Amino acid sequence: MDHLAPVIEIGGIPFDLAAIAMILITSVIVFVIARLAVRNLSVENPGKMQNFLEWLVEFVQGIIGTAMDYRKGRIYLTLGLALIMYIFIGNMLGLPLGIVTEVSASHPTIFGQELVVPAGGHHEGVLHVAWWKSPTADAMSTMALALTVIVLSHVQGLRVNRRHYLKHYLQPWWFFLPINIIEQLSKPLTLGLRLFGNIYAGEVMIAVILGMGVAGIPFLMVWQGFSIFVGTIQAFVFTMLTMVYIAQNTVHEEDH
Amino acid sequence: MENLALVAAGIVFGLGALGAGIGNGLIFSRTIEGIARQPELRGTLQTTAFIGVGLVEALPIIGLVLAFILMGRA
Repeated sequence: MDHLAPVIEIGGIPFDLAAIAMILITSVIVFVIARLAVRNLSVENPGKMQNFLEWLVEFVQGIIGTAMDYRKGRIYLTLGLALIMYIFIGNMLGLPLGIVTEVSASHPTIFGQELVVPAGGHHEGVLHVAWWKSPTADAMSTMALALTVIVLSHVQGLRVNRRHYLKHYLQPWWFFLPINIIEQLSKPLTLGLRLFGNIYAGEVMIAVILGMGVAGIPFLMVWQGFSIFVGTIQAFVFTMLTMVYIAQNTVHEEDH
Repeated sequence: MENLALVAAGIVFGLGALGAGIGNGLIFSRTIEGIARQPELRGTLQTTAFIGVGLVEALPIIGLVLAFILMGRA
């Protein structure tokens, strides 16, 4: 069953309404969890949420510590915390439920706007539009995250470590310059597409298994478990790679 | 042979699965070897192994997404 995304065009730019709504929902959930965890802070008698958030903060501190010297990396703690919470909750949200509505194929509209239908294939009768999915299952939102983080690493490299950062493009020899540039271009691409591919493929597989009907229930259980595992790993890998890229650009290594 | 897109999807995903399988196998074989040499490093080695899996499986999963796109276009 082919699910379409509710994409409408405003001023020539396509907007994916499901992705926008899910990004908002994920942000609200992350904010609520964080605020609930810091209510009634106490040193002797921490509550469960406070314990959980303290564990998470120490975990992110460990991630930063493996990438760079933690005294230099302290400023990236909130970045790492935001990334890992947002991506983890975003990956988990698409698993439990799905909301699919039907739109007539001959004149598809959503809220009065024309629905953008990808070309190819024949559509007859009704089109199915999926409204609930992981925000990270949308390539544009993961690429936005990846680009933000990579641009941050370049900006920090220029601010903190300018001479060494510019010099490392010409290392180890000057004719490595195109290779270094390709490496820098491939970083946001793989960072964003890795997250997108993992979560999107998981969701498509859920749709395929649902198409098997009742016989697919044990498969669905196994696949949901695996998707939770993959979602956790991908959040961790994204945060870890962010810190590694920032460290590569900002830390001056004395042995070069 | 009208639908070369389906054949392409199969080839893309098949080769990607091959790469993912070989890559993960290499990672975990070294991890097991490391754990056998130094059992107290088990936690660190496992964590590093999963980071490696997340990285190695990136391109085969991008291939999987490509295969879905090709299947949808067929």
